[in-house]
Amino acid sequence: MSETTCWAIDPVEGLSWHAPGSPAVHSFDLEVRVETVPRLDFKRPERPEVHAVPLSPEQLRVVSVPIARTRPPKTRSFRFGVAEEEKAFGPRPGEASSNRISSGGSQCSALTGGLLTRIRPPKDVIKLEDRLNYLLQPPLEALLAERSLRFCFEPFHYQYEGIAFLYPRHAAILADEMGLGKTMQAITAIRLLVHRGEVRRVLLVCPKPLVTNWQREFDAWAPEIPASVVEGDQTKRHWQWLLPDVPVTIANYELLRRDRSLLTGADSALTFDLVVLDEAQRIKNRRSATSQAVCSLRSRRRWAMTGTPVENSPEDLVGIFDFLLPGCLSSDMRPRRMGRAVSDHILRRTKEEVLTDLPPKLFRDAEMELSPEQQAAYQLAEGDGVVHLNDLGSQITIQHVFELILRLKQICNFDPATGTSSKLERLEADLEEVAHSGRKAIVFSQWVKTIEQLRGPLARFGPLEYHGRVPSKQRDAVIRQFGEDRDSHVLLISYGAGSVGLNLQFASYVFLFDRWWNPAVEDQAINRVHRIGSAGPVTVTRFLALGTIEERINRILEEKRELFDTIFCDTRPHRRQSLSQEEIFGLFDLKGPATPSRVVA
Amino acid sequence: MADHDNSESKPKQSLGFLTVLECPRDGLFGGYLALTFLGRPLEFRCTAPIKPNRAQQILYGSTLDPYLYGEQIGKTLLSGATISPLVVFTDQSAILAAGDCVDVPVVLVQTPTSEKEAQDTAGNQAEIPSSGSNGKTWRVHAAHAPDFNLAHFRVGRNHLATIARTENEQATITERLAGLTESFDLAEPFTRIREAIEEARGGGGS
Repeated sequence: MSETTCWAIDPVEGLSWHAPGSPAVHSFDLEVRVETVPRLDFKRPERPEVHAVPLSPEQLRVVSVPIARTRPPKTRSFRFGVAEEEKAFGPRPGEASSNRISSGGSQCSALTGGLLTRIRPPKDVIKLEDRLNYLLQPPLEALLAERSLRFCFEPFHYQYEGIAFLYPRHAAILADEMGLGKTMQAITAIRLLVHRGEVRRVLLVCPKPLVTNWQREFDAWAPEIPASVVEGDQTKRHWQWLLPDVPVTIANYELLRRDRSLLTGADSALTFDLVVLDEAQRIKNRRSATSQAVCSLRSRRRWAMTGTPVENSPEDLVGIFDFLLPGCLSSDMRPRRMGRAVSDHILRRTKEEVLTDLPPKLFRDAEMELSPEQQAAYQLAEGDGVVHLNDLGSQITIQHVFELILRLKQICNFDPATGTSSKLERLEADLEEVAHSGRKAIVFSQWVKTIEQLRGPLARFGPLEYHGRVPSKQRDAVIRQFGEDRDSHVLLISYGAGSVGLNLQFASYVFLFDRWWNPAVEDQAINRVHRIGSAGPVTVTRFLALGTIEERINRILEEKRELFDTIFCDTRPHRRQSLSQEEIFGLFDLKGPATPSRVVA
Repeated sequence: MADHDNSESKPKQSLGFLTVLECPRDGLFGGYLALTFLGRPLEFRCTAPIKPNRAQQILYGSTLDPYLYGEQIGKTLLSGATISPLVVFTDQSAILAAGDCVDVPVVLVQTPTSEKEAQDTAGNQAEIPSSGSNGKTWRVHAAHAPDFNLAHFRVGRNHLATIARTENEQATITERLAGLTESFDLAEPFTRIREAIEEARGGGGS
């Protein structure tokens, strides 16, 4: 090998030189460690992709939004009949311009400013066209505002509602509490039906003492509608029943019974468009001749009016519905189911609900000891009576117990031997105050004899009497005199004659000299005074002889009244309030005969 | 619409009342009631519900209501009526558009409801909420608003209005209403119509 210059590369020293000589062998590790550092700025950009978007109009995408004119909606049409009088309606000749739109008037504001009452279809009207015919009628206030339907005073709103309730119904009970104006509501509903041509012949049935009252009310509330009273002997009545073109006929229950064959005979042509029963509790007993006579009447519409649709038991309501809607109720129905079945047919309001402006009714229980003479007589009668009842053993009847009760109650009023009376003393003291203040009072008793006994001692208060022994034709005059005579401060009334239908709102005091068996009857009596038109508070004084049968009866009746109120609030049919057979026997700790329980008082 | 006096049994004078009841679920129900001058019903007509679709809501803008209330419902009800009224009253201004489709004056009865409606549209701007879930609201500006300029007048105690361009009809309307009793509240029948529509909707029978 020629001497050559050898070069070596030292990895540390780098390139180095070696002198020639023997060749030196150097070995080199040629593995070189190289580090690379990427530099982004040297990175080459990616090649852009190019997309061609065609712009030619042929390629535009079109979305079509349908806005085509839609088809006219489907319709339903209903036509309604119009009364003949309206068919050619137009401006009436000679009519005052004030009745037309001109500068305005009070009627319009009265109608729009207050509540309007709509006539709504009853539930038993099924056909849509018939339901709409009711719904589309003008508000009741507008119907009544027409010239021919004026009123002696503006009805209350709840009365409009009562009229709107009766008007469309073929079967209805107006069961407002006494004093809310059921008479006026019924007359106005009748008036509307007559004016609309929906009824042409109406029969109104009421208790005999109330016939003249109904006549007066018709004169006041529907003066343009003739009302004929059926009375007199059979020949005259026959003629009166058959009188044509009489819109309203008034008859009493007794005459209806007597003339039944004429009214409901097979060949009889007497059919009424509407029959209205006042004090409809008269037909609560379905087996009675009165009920059967009333139920056999032919009529398209039937209304009943009563403040006490249930006096004793739900059976009373079944009796009334036998007339209104036969088959609607049955005796075996539970009260709740019964309530549901009749809910659309009954309207019941209380004074507390609708007459917030009515003066208050104040109750006070005048509890008193019997006079010594009365006490002695009472103890003797009770002792002997109970002994007698016990002696009767199994022969005892409810009648025996009744006789004893009545005897004891009479002694609580007056001692039979001396005529002394604690109640009378208290009554005289109270009436002094009544007369001194120029006010008037009503005294109720169960017995005419008691009223006659009161007559003399109360002479200085100018007493007037209204009971079964006062002839019917004189009764209106008695009420009129009591209202007008400033010297007459007290009216003595029997529950039987004066607890229904009378308007005595000019009195301020009511005295219950003795107590009736049924609180509903007492309420009726009290509401003769506490009603629309009452000028001020009405004070009711209930006399009660302590330690006597009166106290025991009162306790039971109070419990029943509470029960009645509870049930009534739930709008369920009312339970009985009078005394059952067991309760009557229980007054003397006696056990009655083993017969089914029934209401006896 | 039927001619006047085309039947001896028909009243010589009657009034029409036209309104629309909006039900959120079903849409718009139209109701028309013809009354005598004493307010007694002669004829009642009602429509099946109609509901605008989304496209109609967007594209008709504020003209949608006059189209639906006036042309679709109002015209349909009035043209099919068998009794021709002297005047048709409405309590909704959109129904005034029906006046262009029939030959009877259509008059707005100004009630508290109609006056509020007028105030709401006074700015010539309406908002149509979207029916979708995005919550958008479509705004329609004045340039697209329909002509709702009203000409007001009174008849008795009733406050009425017509579309301004038909103002010349007011004398005719007043003359036709001369036989109306002053107790007639022209706003009241709309309550009856609404109740009747509800009754018909509720399947009150046949």
